[in-house]
Amino acid sequence: MTELTAPNVVAPPTPSDRRRKLLQNLLRGERPYMLYIAFVILLVVFSLSSPWFLSVDNFLNIGRQTTLVSIIAVGMTFVIIARQIDLSVASTLALSGMAAALAMSQINNSWVVGTVAGLGTGALVGLLNGILTTQLSIPSFLVTLGTLSMARGLAMMVTNTKPVIITNETYFAIFGEGTLLGIPVPIAWTLAAMIVGILLLHYNVFGRRIYAVGGNPTAALYSGINTKWVTTAAFVLTGTLAGLAALVLSARSHAARPDVVQGMELDVIAAVILGGCSLFGGRGYILGTLFGSLIIGTLNNGLVLLGVSSPLQLVIKGAIIVAAVAFTKR
Amino acid sequence: MGKREENLEPSGSVATQPRPPTSLVMVNAINKRFGGVRALRDVNLEVRAGEVHALLGENGAGKSTLIKILSGVHAYDSGAIEIAGRPVLFDSPAKSREAGIAVVYQDLSLVESLSVADNLLLGREPLGHFGFVRKRELMAQASAFLAQLGIPLDIKATVGSLPFAYRQMTEIAKALMGEVRLLILDEPTSSLTTDEVRILFDAIGKVTRRGVGVIYVTHRLNEVFEISQRVTVLRDGANAGTFATADTDMRRLVNAIVGSDRLAPAAVRAEAQATRSFEPSPVLSLSNVSNDRLHAVDLSVLKGEIHGLAGLIGSGRTEVLETVFGLRPVESGTFEIEGRRWLAKSPADAIDQGVALVPEDRHVQGLVLDHSIERNVSLSRLPYFSRWGWMQQRAATRRAETAIGRLAVKAQGASSLVRTLSGGNQQKVVFGKWNDPRPRVLLLDEPTVGVDVGAREEIYGVIRQAVRGGTGVLVVSSDLVELIELCDRISVVVDGRVVRTLMRGEIEDAEELHHLLQLLQASSQSASKDALQELPA
Repeated sequence: MTELTAPNVVAPPTPSDRRRKLLQNLLRGERPYMLYIAFVILLVVFSLSSPWFLSVDNFLNIGRQTTLVSIIAVGMTFVIIARQIDLSVASTLALSGMAAALAMSQINNSWVVGTVAGLGTGALVGLLNGILTTQLSIPSFLVTLGTLSMARGLAMMVTNTKPVIITNETYFAIFGEGTLLGIPVPIAWTLAAMIVGILLLHYNVFGRRIYAVGGNPTAALYSGINTKWVTTAAFVLTGTLAGLAALVLSARSHAARPDVVQGMELDVIAAVILGGCSLFGGRGYILGTLFGSLIIGTLNNGLVLLGVSSPLQLVIKGAIIVAAVAFTKR
Repeated sequence: MGKREENLEPSGSVATQPRPPTSLVMVNAINKRFGGVRALRDVNLEVRAGEVHALLGENGAGKSTLIKILSGVHAYDSGAIEIAGRPVLFDSPAKSREAGIAVVYQDLSLVESLSVADNLLLGREPLGHFGFVRKRELMAQASAFLAQLGIPLDIKATVGSLPFAYRQMTEIAKALMGEVRLLILDEPTSSLTTDEVRILFDAIGKVTRRGVGVIYVTHRLNEVFEISQRVTVLRDGANAGTFATADTDMRRLVNAIVGSDRLAPAAVRAEAQATRSFEPSPVLSLSNVSNDRLHAVDLSVLKGEIHGLAGLIGSGRTEVLETVFGLRPVESGTFEIEGRRWLAKSPADAIDQGVALVPEDRHVQGLVLDHSIERNVSLSRLPYFSRWGWMQQRAATRRAETAIGRLAVKAQGASSLVRTLSGGNQQKVVFGKWNDPRPRVLLLDEPTVGVDVGAREEIYGVIRQAVRGGTGVLVVSSDLVELIELCDRISVVVDGRVVRTLMRGEIEDAEELHHLLQLLQASSQSASKDALQELPA
């Protein structure tokens, strides 16, 4: 049979090929270099136009402001790579915060109970999203549109829309106000979520499964992957991280409120898409997501410093997101 | 309504003219290249008014290309097409439609949620003031049109709720709206039951009586004798004969379809055979397995055996593989793998048991096209690369590189995207998924479709190598030459049943196998027809 084999010829890449490839990589490659460039441009523009922008305090400020979006965006990266979407994250955050605060006020004022209640509630909402999506084969857009409304409604029902005050100092220190090696804990939690996300997605077998399920669900099934389980796990991860974000937010404000962060799911999704994830699944990077969320945070911060009115901020932000996605899509 | 009658008049009047059969469509010496491949070489075809002209050929013989040229989807490189003596040039499907050519494809183009009437008049609804659809007039037009054709359809029925044959008739009726001279049917019966085929043939008869010419593409030779007046056979992109159906027989048609030059010489086969032997212990056996598509299937694959499944499209041969691989629930019957009872509830179960599948459609079922070779070949063996859940990246890359080397995949490296590879190399990557560890049972569904000749021989080599290691192979193929060349035994599948198992040597060549397939298919159809006729008595 071997004599029938065609000669093994692969044309060596010519210099122009290589240049084109480099350019392609920069614009829309596997790693979203364009994103890093965009971030740097943004930093330069704001530094030149506002004297207050370029300072350690302001950067910590940006870090703190983007915490919630960044933490949840890690989970959303898994969901979107698996070719799904989760619209319920902001409501899940609100419900988890209420659960944590109520559990603490009912049981011993214990921060452990609050933590377990907050994370557990988030995980449960994620599990519900996952099961409804995979077992009933309802598109996740619709499932999470439903749970978006249900979770928010539940959060408001439990106290009849009143906030719940938190008094546990340890809880404040762990999730909101303390520092770890000089880093404010909200930022430390963000970094922790990022690192866990990177390990899971890029170094764990689970990550391989997520990419495969999003890249081609049928081929993944035919390769012996339990696609339903993998998809559900991505939703559970996202719900749990929404729970973590709820702990951070409630610890910072010493209370849980049922009406917080309405509409934040859009910022989260925008961060993930800006970060180079394909909405069609199978492609994306945690590091990209971090930069996507930083760009959104920096935009928010910089536009405020420049004194842009908040309606105009919305317009500018939206336009930049659409433009960025138009540039990076393929 | 009057307008439509005018439209239909010309085609109707052709049949009433007492002249000898005139050629309606003449295809003269058409050539077509796709890149380096000559898809059509000086192909001629003449279709007369009121005639059913069967178009036969194996997969890849050029039937689809010819149809796409006639329907204006592809342009041709040289040659000429005449309709009713006038030369025509199609550069778009719309032009072809204008010239009176209508095509009914296998995948239907109806809106399932709309009624038959709405579908028939889609895009040409009678409109009243302010663009509102005049529902009553639409219904009247649709029912008048169907009555005229003599096709019995309930115009109010939602298309999605109709049996397949009626959907197909809706499709044909829709294709006939407007001035149609030539109707092209592409394998219209592949998913129809015997009764439905009857209904369809009646409808075709009514159409031809109006003087419309029909090109009928099929794999089922018994239908050719039942419905067509003439037959044209294509082989490897060229004419392999045109026959008057009445003056020919199945053997001559099969000979034209398969060609004698492609039959592997006996010596080559004997040599391939001599290099291996297989043990008489079954590695996989099915007894009395039934589900929605299979009926009491008995089958065994021996250690080191290549076992073929032959059958027409829709016969259930792919479903046998899918059932073994845990993709279809089993209603009754038992499976044994190396003598132990087992049942795969999912592909993961099957893979655990050492079963592997190279699926029919590598783009949809086999590969993640946007991922690298390494990612694709590792996918089916992830548990092997997991140490407490962490991916053993280096081991995975090494295995992928080994597979690339062993299967001679032409790629720059394990990190090349699968999308950038040729069809043959993509197929080798699918084989590479199961390369190591060696599967106990290897299921292959059309392993060489869309693969060039060189890569095909390489894939045969891979299959033979697998059985030398003791794997049992169960292979489905439409390419009968391939089955004859590869297989130790061949089981024939008809309507979800294994009706016959042939030993090597029992069948001489592809021609004989083709003949036998048609015979078994026809006898099964007539058997079920008899059964139906007996029912009322």
